[in-house]
Amino acid sequence: MEIPIRKLFPRTQNGFVGVALSEDTQTYNVRVDWTRDRVGKLLIDGKPTVEVATPPEFSGPEGIISPEDLFVASAAVCLMTTFVTFTKKMRFEYKGFTVNGTGTLQKLEKGYQFTKIVLNATVTVESEELRPKAQRALELAGKYCLVTNSMKCETEHINNVVVE
Amino acid sequence: MIRFAQAYVVQQMSDDDRYFPISLQWTGRKTGLLSVEGKDVIRTGVPLDDQDEASGYTPEDLFVASAAICYMNGFIEFTRKMHIEFKSFDCDAVGNLERVGRSFEITQIEMTARVTIESDEVRGKIERALELAAKYCFVGNSMKCPITHRVEISVT
Repeated sequence: MEIPIRKLFPRTQNGFVGVALSEDTQTYNVRVDWTRDRVGKLLIDGKPTVEVATPPEFSGPEGIISPEDLFVASAAVCLMTTFVTFTKKMRFEYKGFTVNGTGTLQKLEKGYQFTKIVLNATVTVESEELRPKAQRALELAGKYCLVTNSMKCETEHINNVVVE
Repeated sequence: MIRFAQAYVVQQMSDDDRYFPISLQWTGRKTGLLSVEGKDVIRTGVPLDDQDEASGYTPEDLFVASAAICYMNGFIEFTRKMHIEFKSFDCDAVGNLERVGRSFEITQIEMTARVTIESDEVRGKIERALELAAKYCFVGNSMKCPITHRVEISVT
């Protein structure tokens, strides 16, 4: 299954294909605002404010969401939304979907970098006949996940389908 | 019940490695609940036609946010190492999502950081802390796309 490409040659503002902003470009705006110590607020228009901080692994406080958490989360959430898109295209129903993700931050020459993300996804379906479709949707979601495709690190997928 | 994924990363452990486990539970349509142990749960979602779903965090929001927050954390870290003070810091980040081949990718993130300081004497050091924060941003360095940094320092 392929994602249909509606426009092979998107128009751009300056006439160069694929260089400047095109019809296929979307922008995402976020703001961070420092409050105290190693803590700040994440602000996105129309969404609840999230308190954020340096993680305890790097001398930050306990119990506050860190950028490292959000980096790994962005991959997991993208896998989920891409999975949902494919299940709609393939027209099948499922009962549940969960992902457990773990990112590994490794010390390289130029400081720390994420070198691996493991995404362990589990889909629950009602009958055995749906197993291949669920498996296929998981594979496609992994392949077309735009967030992991925007990361340098390798993503390892562990896909599980449970009949219940 | 939320199960965490530490168990899957036991191979090749080193003292320097740090692990960040998260858990995501689907809650219907394109929405979910994102959990990190001991931290506040974040509602995620991509809006279809429901206004309520528009208030969830999208994967792109989380991706761009992770780079901006990491930049802030780096800045704080370097100001501490350099023993300098600042009065306020905020940063706007804009991520561009573009078609690349058959799929999409975040192709650029533009950051604008604003720092206020008490006197002009620390301006040079603040600039240096911002440069180092950009250079050593763990999260930014884990992304394929270029990240630009504009800086506005004002004395108040």
